[in-house]
Amino acid sequence: MKKFLKTLIPTELAKGLLLTGKWFCQVMFSPNRGKSKLHIVDEYPEVPAKVQPRFRGRLQLLKDAQDEIICVCCMACIKACPTNAISLVAGKKEGRKTRIPESYDFELERCIFCGFCVESCTFNAIALNHQFELAVYNREDMAIGLGGVFQSIDKPSPVGKFSYSGKE
Amino acid sequence: MPEMTPVQTLLIAIIQIVLVIAFVFVVVPLTIFAERKVLGFVQQRLGSTRIAGKLRGITGLQNRFMWGMGRFPIIHYFRGLPGLVGDIVKLFIKEDIRPAKADRFVYLIAPCVSMIAAMLVYAMIGFYPGTLFTIPSFIPLIGGLPVGGTIADVNVGLLMLLGIASVGVYGIVLGAWASNSKYPLLGGLRSAAQMVSYEVPLTISMLTPVILAGSLNFNEMTRVTATGLSPWGVIPLFIGFFAYITCGFAESNRLPFDMPEAENELVAGYHTEYSGMRFGLFYLAEYINMSIVAALASAFFFGGPWLLPFGLQRFIPETAFWIGQPHWYIFAVKIVFFLFVYIWVRGSWPRYRYDQIMDVAWKYLIPMTLVNLVLAGIVRYFA
Repeated sequence: MKKFLKTLIPTELAKGLLLTGKWFCQVMFSPNRGKSKLHIVDEYPEVPAKVQPRFRGRLQLLKDAQDEIICVCCMACIKACPTNAISLVAGKKEGRKTRIPESYDFELERCIFCGFCVESCTFNAIALNHQFELAVYNREDMAIGLGGVFQSIDKPSPVGKFSYSGKE
Repeated sequence: MPEMTPVQTLLIAIIQIVLVIAFVFVVVPLTIFAERKVLGFVQQRLGSTRIAGKLRGITGLQNRFMWGMGRFPIIHYFRGLPGLVGDIVKLFIKEDIRPAKADRFVYLIAPCVSMIAAMLVYAMIGFYPGTLFTIPSFIPLIGGLPVGGTIADVNVGLLMLLGIASVGVYGIVLGAWASNSKYPLLGGLRSAAQMVSYEVPLTISMLTPVILAGSLNFNEMTRVTATGLSPWGVIPLFIGFFAYITCGFAESNRLPFDMPEAENELVAGYHTEYSGMRFGLFYLAEYINMSIVAALASAFFFGGPWLLPFGLQRFIPETAFWIGQPHWYIFAVKIVFFLFVYIWVRGSWPRYRYDQIMDVAWKYLIPMTLVNLVLAGIVRYFA
Protein backbone atom coordinates (compact mmCIF):
# COMPACT_ATOMS: atom_id res chain seq x y z
CA MET A 1 0.00 0.00 0.00
CA LYS A 2 2.81 2.36 0.91
CA LYS A 3 4.63 1.56 -2.32
CA PHE A 4 1.42 2.06 -4.25
CA LEU A 5 0.86 5.47 -2.68
CA LYS A 6 4.50 6.41 -3.31
CA THR A 7 4.08 5.61 -6.97
CA LEU A 8 0.79 7.43 -7.12
CA ILE A 9 2.03 10.59 -5.40
CA PRO A 10 5.57 11.09 -6.70
CA THR A 11 7.12 13.41 -4.13
CA GLU A 12 10.68 12.55 -5.12
CA LEU A 13 9.99 13.51 -8.70
CA ALA A 14 8.59 16.82 -7.50
CA LYS A 15 11.72 17.40 -5.43
CA GLY A 16 13.89 16.82 -8.47
CA LEU A 17 11.81 19.18 -10.54
CA LEU A 18 12.06 21.87 -7.87
CA LEU A 19 15.85 21.58 -7.70
CA THR A 20 16.37 21.84 -11.44
CA GLY A 21 13.75 24.56 -11.62
CA LYS A 22 15.68 26.55 -9.06
CA TRP A 23 18.87 26.20 -11.08
CA PHE A 24 17.06 27.17 -14.25
CA CYS A 25 15.67 30.32 -12.65
CA GLN A 26 19.06 31.21 -11.18
CA VAL A 27 20.87 31.00 -14.49
CA MET A 28 18.02 32.33 -16.62
CA PHE A 29 17.18 35.36 -14.54
CA SER A 30 20.63 36.37 -13.34
CA PRO A 31 20.62 40.02 -14.40
CA ASN A 32 24.27 40.34 -15.34
CA ARG A 33 26.05 37.16 -16.19
CA GLY A 34 29.46 38.77 -15.98
CA LYS A 35 29.04 40.24 -12.50
CA SER A 36 27.13 37.53 -10.67
CA LYS A 37 28.06 34.21 -12.16
CA LEU A 38 25.56 31.50 -11.24
CA HIS A 39 26.50 28.96 -13.87
CA ILE A 40 29.39 26.62 -13.23
CA VAL A 41 31.05 26.55 -16.63
CA ASP A 42 33.63 28.87 -18.17
CA GLU A 43 33.64 30.30 -21.65
CA TYR A 44 37.09 28.98 -22.30
CA PRO A 45 38.55 30.20 -25.59
CA GLU A 46 37.47 33.78 -25.03
CA VAL A 47 37.99 33.88 -21.29
CA PRO A 48 41.29 32.53 -19.94
CA ALA A 49 40.68 29.25 -18.23
CA LYS A 50 41.36 29.06 -14.53
CA VAL A 51 43.12 25.92 -13.38
CA GLN A 52 43.48 24.61 -9.86
CA PRO A 53 46.48 25.93 -7.90
CA ARG A 54 48.13 22.51 -7.82
CA PHE A 55 47.74 21.97 -11.55
CA ARG A 56 50.87 20.46 -13.14
CA GLY A 57 51.60 21.92 -16.53
CA ARG A 58 54.83 22.36 -18.45
CA LEU A 59 58.23 22.37 -16.72
CA GLN A 60 59.78 25.80 -16.41
CA LEU A 61 63.10 27.05 -15.04
CA LEU A 62 62.48 29.83 -12.56
CA LYS A 63 64.51 33.01 -12.25
CA ASP A 64 65.32 35.15 -9.24
CA ALA A 65 64.90 38.89 -8.76
CA GLN A 66 68.05 39.66 -10.78
CA ASP A 67 66.55 37.77 -13.76
CA GLU A 68 69.09 34.99 -13.32
CA ILE A 69 68.41 31.27 -13.37
CA ILE A 70 68.26 29.87 -9.85
CA CYS A 71 69.29 26.33 -10.84
CA VAL A 72 72.66 25.18 -9.38
CA CYS A 73 72.92 21.94 -11.39
CA CYS A 74 72.66 19.54 -8.46
CA MET A 75 71.16 16.94 -10.86
CA ALA A 76 68.46 15.95 -8.33
CA CYS A 77 65.71 16.44 -10.91
CA ILE A 78 67.50 14.21 -13.40
CA LYS A 79 67.76 11.44 -10.81
CA ALA A 80 64.14 11.87 -9.79
CA CYS A 81 62.73 11.87 -13.30
CA PRO A 82 61.14 8.46 -14.01
CA THR A 83 61.13 8.90 -17.78
CA ASN A 84 64.54 10.54 -18.26
CA ALA A 85 62.92 13.59 -19.74
CA ILE A 86 65.50 16.02 -18.33
CA SER A 87 69.17 16.31 -19.12
CA LEU A 88 71.51 19.18 -18.36
CA VAL A 89 75.11 20.26 -18.80
CA ALA A 90 76.60 22.26 -15.94
CA GLY A 91 78.66 25.34 -16.64
CA LYS A 92 80.26 28.30 -14.95
CA LYS A 93 79.56 31.99 -15.06
CA GLU A 94 81.64 35.00 -14.03
CA GLY A 95 80.70 36.43 -10.64
CA ARG A 96 78.53 33.52 -9.57
CA LYS A 97 79.65 31.15 -6.86
CA THR A 98 77.41 28.24 -7.83
CA ARG A 99 77.21 26.47 -11.14
CA ILE A 100 74.73 27.45 -13.78
CA PRO A 101 73.19 25.21 -16.46
CA GLU A 102 74.92 25.57 -19.79
CA SER A 103 72.09 23.68 -21.42
CA TYR A 104 68.93 22.33 -19.87
CA ASP A 105 67.06 19.99 -22.19
CA PHE A 106 63.52 18.88 -21.47
CA GLU A 107 61.65 16.37 -23.62
CA LEU A 108 57.99 17.34 -23.42
CA GLU A 109 57.03 14.21 -25.35
CA ARG A 110 58.34 11.94 -22.61
CA CYS A 111 57.21 13.99 -19.61
CA ILE A 112 54.42 12.41 -17.59
CA PHE A 113 53.82 15.51 -15.45
CA CYS A 114 54.42 13.63 -12.21
CA GLY A 115 56.07 16.56 -10.49
CA PHE A 116 58.88 14.52 -8.88
CA CYS A 117 61.50 16.89 -10.26
CA VAL A 118 59.84 19.83 -8.55
CA GLU A 119 59.62 17.90 -5.30
CA SER A 120 63.27 16.89 -5.45
CA CYS A 121 64.51 20.42 -6.13
CA THR A 122 65.83 21.88 -2.88
CA PHE A 123 66.43 25.32 -4.38
CA ASN A 124 62.92 25.89 -5.74
CA ALA A 125 64.49 26.45 -9.10
CA ILE A 126 61.94 24.65 -11.27
CA ALA A 127 58.18 24.49 -11.34
CA LEU A 128 55.39 23.00 -13.36
CA ASN A 129 53.54 26.08 -14.51
CA HIS A 130 49.84 26.34 -15.21
CA GLN A 131 49.97 25.99 -18.98
CA PHE A 132 47.97 23.22 -20.55
CA GLU A 133 47.78 24.24 -24.21
CA LEU A 134 51.03 22.59 -25.23
CA ALA A 135 50.33 21.40 -28.76
CA VAL A 136 52.93 22.28 -31.41
CA TYR A 137 53.07 21.81 -35.14
CA ASN A 138 56.55 20.26 -35.39
CA ARG A 139 57.78 17.38 -33.36
CA GLU A 140 61.14 19.07 -32.85
CA ASP A 141 59.44 21.84 -30.92
CA MET A 142 58.61 19.36 -28.21
CA ALA A 143 62.28 19.23 -27.21
CA ILE A 144 62.63 22.36 -25.12
CA GLY A 145 65.98 23.83 -24.16
CA LEU A 146 67.56 27.06 -23.07
CA GLY A 147 67.31 29.81 -25.66
CA GLY A 148 65.23 27.83 -28.09
CA VAL A 149 63.82 29.37 -31.23
CA PHE A 150 60.21 28.44 -30.67
CA GLN A 151 59.98 28.10 -26.93
CA SER A 152 62.51 28.25 -24.17
CA ILE A 153 62.58 26.33 -20.92
CA ASP A 154 62.96 29.49 -18.83
CA LYS A 155 59.89 31.16 -20.34
CA PRO A 156 56.26 30.07 -20.52
CA SER A 157 55.16 28.50 -23.76
CA PRO A 158 54.05 30.95 -26.44
CA VAL A 159 51.43 28.45 -27.62
CA GLY A 160 49.16 28.90 -24.65
CA LYS A 161 47.46 32.01 -25.87
CA PHE A 162 44.50 31.80 -23.54
CA SER A 163 45.81 29.96 -20.53
CA TYR A 164 47.81 31.99 -18.11
CA SER A 165 50.95 30.72 -16.49
CA GLY A 166 50.78 31.25 -12.77
CA LYS A 167 54.53 31.33 -12.18
CA GLU A 168 56.24 33.64 -14.60
CA MET B 1 -20.44 34.36 -44.36
CA PRO B 2 -21.02 34.02 -48.11
CA GLU B 3 -21.49 30.54 -49.52
CA MET B 4 -18.22 29.26 -50.96
CA THR B 5 -17.72 27.17 -54.08
CA PRO B 6 -15.55 24.02 -53.75
CA VAL B 7 -12.69 25.74 -55.57
CA GLN B 8 -12.77 28.67 -53.18
CA THR B 9 -12.87 26.33 -50.18
CA LEU B 10 -9.89 24.45 -51.55
CA LEU B 11 -7.90 27.61 -52.20
CA ILE B 12 -8.54 28.96 -48.74
CA ALA B 13 -7.60 25.60 -47.22
CA ILE B 14 -4.35 25.69 -49.18
CA ILE B 15 -3.61 29.17 -47.85
CA GLN B 16 -4.22 27.92 -44.33
CA ILE B 17 -2.05 24.87 -44.90
CA VAL B 18 0.82 27.00 -46.18
CA LEU B 19 0.48 29.25 -43.14
CA VAL B 20 0.49 26.28 -40.79
CA ILE B 21 3.55 24.75 -42.47
CA ALA B 22 5.38 28.06 -42.27
CA PHE B 23 4.41 28.30 -38.62
CA VAL B 24 5.67 24.79 -37.95
CA PHE B 25 8.98 25.34 -39.71
CA VAL B 26 9.56 28.50 -37.71
CA VAL B 27 8.44 27.22 -34.34
CA VAL B 28 9.97 23.75 -34.36
CA PRO B 29 13.60 24.90 -34.85
CA LEU B 30 13.01 27.46 -32.13
CA THR B 31 11.85 24.65 -29.88
CA ILE B 32 15.02 22.74 -30.64
CA PHE B 33 17.05 25.81 -29.78
CA ALA B 34 15.04 26.39 -26.63
CA GLU B 35 15.65 22.79 -25.65
CA ARG B 36 19.40 23.30 -25.83
CA LYS B 37 19.26 26.48 -23.81
CA VAL B 38 16.81 25.26 -21.19
CA LEU B 39 18.65 21.98 -20.71
CA GLY B 40 21.80 24.02 -20.24
CA PHE B 41 20.24 26.33 -17.69
CA VAL B 42 18.71 23.41 -15.83
CA GLN B 43 22.17 21.89 -15.47
CA GLN B 44 23.81 25.23 -14.54
CA ARG B 45 25.42 25.50 -17.94
CA LEU B 46 24.88 28.16 -20.58
CA GLY B 47 23.50 26.04 -23.41
CA SER B 48 24.69 26.68 -26.92
CA THR B 49 26.60 29.93 -27.10
CA ARG B 50 28.81 29.53 -30.13
CA ILE B 51 29.33 27.71 -33.40
CA ALA B 52 32.05 25.32 -34.45
CA GLY B 53 34.87 27.01 -36.30
CA LYS B 54 38.22 28.63 -35.99
CA LEU B 55 39.47 31.57 -34.04
CA ARG B 56 39.91 33.52 -37.24
CA GLY B 57 37.73 33.92 -40.28
CA ILE B 58 33.99 34.37 -40.44
CA THR B 59 33.22 31.81 -37.74
CA GLY B 60 35.73 33.41 -35.43
CA LEU B 61 34.19 36.79 -36.07
CA GLN B 62 30.73 35.39 -35.36
CA ASN B 63 31.89 33.69 -32.20
CA ARG B 64 33.58 36.83 -30.95
CA PHE B 65 30.45 38.82 -31.72
CA MET B 66 28.31 36.32 -29.84
CA TRP B 67 30.67 36.42 -26.89
CA GLY B 68 30.32 40.18 -26.88
CA MET B 69 26.56 39.77 -26.77
CA GLY B 70 27.01 37.84 -23.54
CA ARG B 71 27.30 41.07 -21.60
CA PHE B 72 23.74 42.13 -22.36
CA PRO B 73 21.11 40.69 -20.05
CA ILE B 74 18.36 39.40 -22.35
CA ILE B 75 20.15 39.25 -25.68
CA HIS B 76 22.66 36.69 -24.52
CA TYR B 77 20.00 33.97 -24.46
CA PHE B 78 20.01 34.01 -28.25
CA ARG B 79 23.72 33.67 -28.81
CA GLY B 80 23.54 30.16 -30.23
CA LEU B 81 21.01 30.92 -32.96
CA PRO B 82 23.53 30.95 -35.85
CA GLY B 83 24.53 27.46 -34.80
CA LEU B 84 20.93 26.36 -35.18
CA VAL B 85 20.86 27.69 -38.74
CA GLY B 86 24.03 25.74 -39.39
CA ASP B 87 22.39 22.59 -38.05
CA ILE B 88 19.41 22.95 -40.36
CA VAL B 89 21.63 23.61 -43.38
CA LYS B 90 23.63 20.53 -42.46
CA LEU B 91 20.48 18.41 -42.33
CA PHE B 92 19.52 19.58 -45.80
CA ILE B 93 22.83 19.16 -47.58
CA LYS B 94 24.04 15.99 -45.92
CA GLU B 95 24.31 12.86 -48.05
CA ASP B 96 21.32 10.58 -47.84
CA ILE B 97 22.66 7.11 -47.19
CA ARG B 98 20.54 4.01 -47.68
CA PRO B 99 21.72 0.69 -46.25
CA ALA B 100 22.36 -1.89 -48.98
CA LYS B 101 19.96 -4.52 -47.66
CA ALA B 102 17.23 -2.09 -46.62
CA ASP B 103 13.73 -2.48 -47.94
CA ARG B 104 13.86 0.45 -50.29
CA PHE B 105 10.24 1.53 -50.55
CA VAL B 106 9.37 1.18 -46.88
CA TYR B 107 12.64 2.80 -45.92
CA LEU B 108 11.78 5.82 -48.02
CA ILE B 109 8.19 6.30 -46.89
CA ALA B 110 8.67 5.67 -43.17
CA PRO B 111 9.84 9.21 -42.29
CA CYS B 112 7.07 10.62 -44.46
CA VAL B 113 4.47 8.59 -42.58
CA SER B 114 5.86 9.87 -39.32
CA MET B 115 5.87 13.47 -40.50
CA ILE B 116 2.45 13.37 -42.17
CA ALA B 117 0.81 11.81 -39.15
CA ALA B 118 2.28 14.56 -37.01
CA MET B 119 1.36 17.39 -39.36
CA LEU B 120 -2.19 16.21 -40.03
CA VAL B 121 -3.18 16.73 -36.43
CA TYR B 122 -2.57 20.44 -36.89
CA ALA B 123 -5.61 20.51 -39.16
CA MET B 124 -7.86 20.06 -36.13
CA ILE B 125 -6.12 22.56 -33.87
CA GLY B 126 -7.51 26.05 -33.86
CA PHE B 127 -4.67 28.52 -33.75
CA TYR B 128 -6.72 31.65 -33.76
CA PRO B 129 -10.21 32.38 -32.46
CA GLY B 130 -12.62 33.22 -35.26
CA THR B 131 -11.31 34.73 -38.46
CA LEU B 132 -7.59 35.12 -38.92
CA PHE B 133 -7.82 37.71 -41.71
CA THR B 134 -9.99 38.57 -44.67
CA ILE B 135 -8.50 38.31 -48.12
CA PRO B 136 -8.48 41.76 -49.81
CA SER B 137 -11.19 42.10 -52.44
CA PHE B 138 -8.93 42.90 -55.43
CA ILE B 139 -7.66 39.31 -55.54
CA PRO B 140 -9.68 37.32 -58.11
CA LEU B 141 -11.71 34.25 -57.21
CA ILE B 142 -11.23 34.39 -53.47
CA GLY B 143 -11.33 38.13 -52.74
CA GLY B 144 -13.30 39.16 -49.69
CA LEU B 145 -13.48 35.71 -48.16
CA PRO B 146 -12.45 35.11 -44.54
CA VAL B 147 -9.60 32.80 -43.62
CA GLY B 148 -10.46 30.99 -40.42
CA GLY B 149 -8.08 30.14 -37.61
CA THR B 150 -8.79 26.41 -37.90
CA ILE B 151 -8.33 24.35 -41.04
CA ALA B 152 -10.94 21.71 -40.27
CA ASP B 153 -13.47 22.45 -37.55
CA VAL B 154 -14.63 18.86 -37.05
CA ASN B 155 -17.40 17.99 -34.64
CA VAL B 156 -15.78 14.72 -33.61
CA GLY B 157 -12.38 16.33 -33.31
CA LEU B 158 -11.31 14.11 -30.43
CA LEU B 159 -11.83 10.86 -32.34
CA MET B 160 -10.07 12.17 -35.40
CA LEU B 161 -7.14 13.44 -33.35
CA LEU B 162 -6.64 10.10 -31.64
CA GLY B 163 -7.02 8.22 -34.89
CA ILE B 164 -4.40 10.21 -36.73
CA ALA B 165 -2.02 10.42 -33.80
CA SER B 166 -1.95 6.64 -33.50
CA VAL B 167 -0.75 6.37 -37.10
CA GLY B 168 2.51 7.96 -35.96
CA VAL B 169 3.68 4.67 -34.48
CA TYR B 170 3.73 3.19 -37.99
CA GLY B 171 6.40 5.61 -39.09
CA ILE B 172 8.66 4.46 -36.29
CA VAL B 173 7.96 0.73 -36.63
CA LEU B 174 8.22 0.73 -40.43
CA GLY B 175 11.42 2.76 -40.41
CA ALA B 176 12.89 0.48 -37.77
CA TRP B 177 12.00 -2.68 -39.66
CA ALA B 178 13.05 -1.42 -43.07
CA SER B 179 16.51 -0.38 -41.89
CA ASN B 180 17.53 -4.06 -41.71
CA SER B 181 19.70 -3.51 -38.67
CA LYS B 182 19.32 -4.87 -35.17
CA TYR B 183 19.38 -1.67 -33.14
CA PRO B 184 16.57 0.01 -35.06
CA LEU B 185 14.59 -3.21 -34.94
CA LEU B 186 14.89 -3.42 -31.16
CA GLY B 187 13.90 0.22 -30.86
CA GLY B 188 10.95 -0.27 -33.15
CA LEU B 189 9.69 -3.31 -31.27
CA ARG B 190 9.89 -1.47 -27.98
CA SER B 191 8.18 1.56 -29.40
CA ALA B 192 5.34 -0.56 -30.78
CA ALA B 193 4.67 -2.06 -27.35
CA GLN B 194 5.12 1.24 -25.56
CA MET B 195 2.96 3.37 -27.80
CA VAL B 196 0.16 0.82 -28.02
CA SER B 197 0.17 0.51 -24.23
CA TYR B 198 0.08 4.21 -23.60
CA GLU B 199 -2.65 4.83 -26.15
CA VAL B 200 -5.14 3.27 -23.73
CA PRO B 201 -4.67 5.53 -20.68
CA LEU B 202 -4.23 8.49 -23.01
CA THR B 203 -7.64 7.97 -24.52
CA ILE B 204 -9.31 7.25 -21.20
CA SER B 205 -7.81 10.33 -19.59
CA MET B 206 -8.98 12.47 -22.50
CA LEU B 207 -12.52 11.28 -21.86
CA THR B 208 -12.58 13.13 -18.52
CA PRO B 209 -13.23 16.59 -19.99
CA VAL B 210 -15.65 15.03 -22.45
CA ILE B 211 -17.72 13.63 -19.61
CA LEU B 212 -17.49 16.84 -17.61
CA ALA B 213 -18.62 18.91 -20.56
CA GLY B 214 -21.10 16.34 -21.81
CA SER B 215 -20.14 16.92 -25.42
CA LEU B 216 -17.68 15.77 -28.05
CA ASN B 217 -17.83 19.12 -29.81
CA PHE B 218 -14.61 20.98 -29.35
CA ASN B 219 -16.07 24.45 -28.85
CA GLU B 220 -18.72 23.23 -26.42
CA MET B 221 -16.10 21.34 -24.41
CA THR B 222 -13.86 24.40 -24.31
CA ARG B 223 -16.70 26.63 -23.19
CA VAL B 224 -17.75 24.34 -20.36
CA THR B 225 -14.27 23.64 -19.00
CA ALA B 226 -13.43 27.32 -19.05
CA THR B 227 -16.61 28.85 -17.69
CA GLY B 228 -19.22 26.36 -16.56
CA LEU B 229 -17.09 23.95 -14.56
CA SER B 230 -18.25 23.14 -11.04
CA PRO B 231 -15.52 23.50 -8.37
CA TRP B 232 -15.55 19.73 -7.77
CA GLY B 233 -14.82 19.17 -11.44
CA VAL B 234 -11.31 20.49 -11.00
CA ILE B 235 -10.27 17.33 -9.12
CA PRO B 236 -10.90 14.77 -11.87
CA LEU B 237 -9.67 17.27 -14.43
CA PHE B 238 -6.39 17.62 -12.56
CA ILE B 239 -5.85 13.88 -12.10
CA GLY B 240 -6.73 13.36 -15.73
CA PHE B 241 -4.26 16.04 -16.71
CA PHE B 242 -1.39 14.31 -14.93
CA ALA B 243 -2.27 10.97 -16.48
CA TYR B 244 -2.57 12.65 -19.86
CA ILE B 245 0.75 14.47 -19.70
CA THR B 246 2.52 11.26 -18.63
CA CYS B 247 1.02 9.38 -21.56
CA GLY B 248 1.81 12.32 -23.80
CA PHE B 249 5.49 12.09 -22.88
CA ALA B 250 5.40 8.40 -23.67
CA GLU B 251 3.50 8.89 -26.92
CA SER B 252 5.92 11.48 -28.25
CA ASN B 253 8.90 9.29 -27.25
CA ARG B 254 10.46 11.86 -25.01
CA LEU B 255 12.54 11.30 -21.95
CA PRO B 256 11.93 9.75 -19.43
CA PHE B 257 10.10 7.36 -21.79
CA ASP B 258 12.46 7.37 -24.76
CA MET B 259 12.43 3.63 -25.33
CA PRO B 260 12.38 3.76 -29.18
CA GLU B 261 15.37 6.05 -29.32
CA ALA B 262 17.26 4.86 -26.22
CA GLU B 263 20.45 6.77 -26.88
CA ASN B 264 22.22 5.07 -24.03
CA GLU B 265 21.46 1.47 -25.01
CA LEU B 266 20.60 1.26 -28.69
CA VAL B 267 22.74 3.53 -30.81
CA ALA B 268 19.99 5.89 -31.78
CA GLY B 269 17.06 3.49 -31.84
CA TYR B 270 14.76 3.53 -34.82
CA HIS B 271 16.61 6.21 -36.79
CA THR B 272 20.10 4.77 -36.49
CA GLU B 273 20.39 4.12 -40.22
CA TYR B 274 18.80 7.37 -41.31
CA SER B 275 20.79 10.41 -42.30
CA GLY B 276 20.27 13.73 -43.95
CA MET B 277 16.78 15.11 -44.33
CA ARG B 278 15.11 11.73 -43.75
CA PHE B 279 16.49 11.79 -40.25
CA GLY B 280 15.43 15.42 -40.17
CA LEU B 281 11.84 14.41 -40.85
CA PHE B 282 11.86 12.04 -37.87
CA TYR B 283 13.45 14.78 -35.81
CA LEU B 284 10.86 17.35 -36.85
CA ALA B 285 8.03 14.88 -36.28
CA GLU B 286 9.16 14.36 -32.70
CA TYR B 287 9.05 18.07 -31.98
CA ILE B 288 5.75 18.54 -33.80
CA ASN B 289 4.30 15.75 -31.68
CA MET B 290 5.57 17.58 -28.61
CA SER B 291 3.79 20.75 -29.57
CA ILE B 292 0.64 18.81 -30.40
CA VAL B 293 0.59 17.15 -27.00
CA ALA B 294 1.11 20.58 -25.46
CA ALA B 295 -1.70 22.07 -27.52
CA LEU B 296 -4.09 19.26 -26.65
CA ALA B 297 -3.21 19.50 -22.96
CA SER B 298 -4.15 23.15 -22.99
CA ALA B 299 -7.23 22.51 -25.11
CA PHE B 300 -8.68 19.67 -23.05
CA PHE B 301 -7.52 20.26 -19.51
CA PHE B 302 -6.57 23.91 -19.29
CA GLY B 303 -9.81 25.48 -20.33
CA GLY B 304 -9.55 25.43 -24.08
CA PRO B 305 -6.98 27.08 -26.26
CA TRP B 306 -7.96 30.67 -25.81
CA LEU B 307 -9.50 30.88 -22.34
CA LEU B 308 -8.25 30.71 -18.78
CA PRO B 309 -8.05 27.28 -17.11
CA PHE B 310 -10.11 25.68 -14.31
CA GLY B 311 -13.25 27.73 -14.68
CA LEU B 312 -11.39 30.93 -13.83
CA GLN B 313 -12.81 32.60 -16.90
CA ARG B 314 -16.17 33.27 -15.28
CA PHE B 315 -14.60 35.48 -12.61
CA ILE B 316 -13.06 37.73 -15.24
CA PRO B 317 -15.36 40.33 -16.76
CA GLU B 318 -15.58 40.15 -20.53
CA THR B 319 -14.26 43.67 -20.84
CA ALA B 320 -11.00 42.87 -19.05
CA PHE B 321 -8.02 44.18 -20.98
CA TRP B 322 -6.02 41.09 -21.96
CA ILE B 323 -7.75 38.05 -20.62
CA GLY B 324 -11.44 38.88 -20.91
CA GLN B 325 -11.92 37.65 -24.46
CA PRO B 326 -10.51 34.58 -26.19
CA HIS B 327 -7.07 35.44 -27.52
CA TRP B 328 -4.34 33.58 -29.31
CA TYR B 329 -1.67 34.67 -26.87
CA ILE B 330 -3.27 32.76 -24.02
CA PHE B 331 -2.88 29.70 -26.24
CA ALA B 332 0.71 30.62 -27.01
CA VAL B 333 1.56 31.04 -23.34
CA LYS B 334 0.06 27.64 -22.53
CA ILE B 335 1.93 25.89 -25.35
CA VAL B 336 5.22 27.51 -24.41
CA PHE B 337 4.70 26.51 -20.80
CA PHE B 338 4.01 22.88 -21.66
CA LEU B 339 6.99 22.72 -24.00
CA PHE B 340 9.09 24.08 -21.17
CA VAL B 341 7.72 21.37 -18.89
CA TYR B 342 8.77 18.79 -21.48
CA ILE B 343 12.36 20.01 -21.44
CA TRP B 344 12.36 20.57 -17.70
CA VAL B 345 11.29 16.99 -17.08
CA ARG B 346 13.91 15.77 -19.52
CA GLY B 347 16.60 17.62 -17.63
CA SER B 348 15.43 16.45 -14.22
CA TRP B 349 14.45 12.81 -14.23
CA PRO B 350 16.31 9.63 -15.07
CA ARG B 351 14.97 7.23 -17.66
CA TYR B 352 12.61 4.42 -16.86
CA ARG B 353 13.59 0.84 -17.48
CA TYR B 354 11.53 -1.00 -20.06
CA ASP B 355 9.61 -3.16 -17.60
CA GLN B 356 9.01 -0.12 -15.41
CA ILE B 357 7.45 1.68 -18.35
CA MET B 358 5.08 -1.22 -18.89
CA ASP B 359 4.35 -1.31 -15.15
CA VAL B 360 3.49 2.38 -15.09
CA ALA B 361 1.12 2.01 -18.02
CA TRP B 362 -0.74 -1.16 -17.13
CA LYS B 363 -0.56 -1.30 -13.34
CA TYR B 364 -0.96 2.34 -12.41
CA LEU B 365 -2.11 4.60 -15.22
CA ILE B 366 -4.96 2.50 -16.61
CA PRO B 367 -6.60 1.80 -13.20
CA MET B 368 -6.01 5.41 -12.20
CA THR B 369 -7.64 6.81 -15.30
CA LEU B 370 -10.56 4.40 -14.99
CA VAL B 371 -11.17 5.46 -11.38
CA ASN B 372 -10.83 9.04 -12.50
CA LEU B 373 -13.42 8.45 -15.20
CA VAL B 374 -15.88 7.17 -12.60
CA LEU B 375 -15.06 10.18 -10.44
CA ALA B 376 -15.77 12.50 -13.34
CA GLY B 377 -19.08 10.75 -13.90
CA ILE B 378 -20.02 11.21 -10.24
CA VAL B 379 -19.11 14.89 -10.40
CA ARG B 380 -21.10 15.27 -13.58
CA TYR B 381 -24.15 13.55 -12.08
CA PHE B 382 -24.30 15.21 -8.68
CA ALA B 383 -22.68 18.60 -9.13
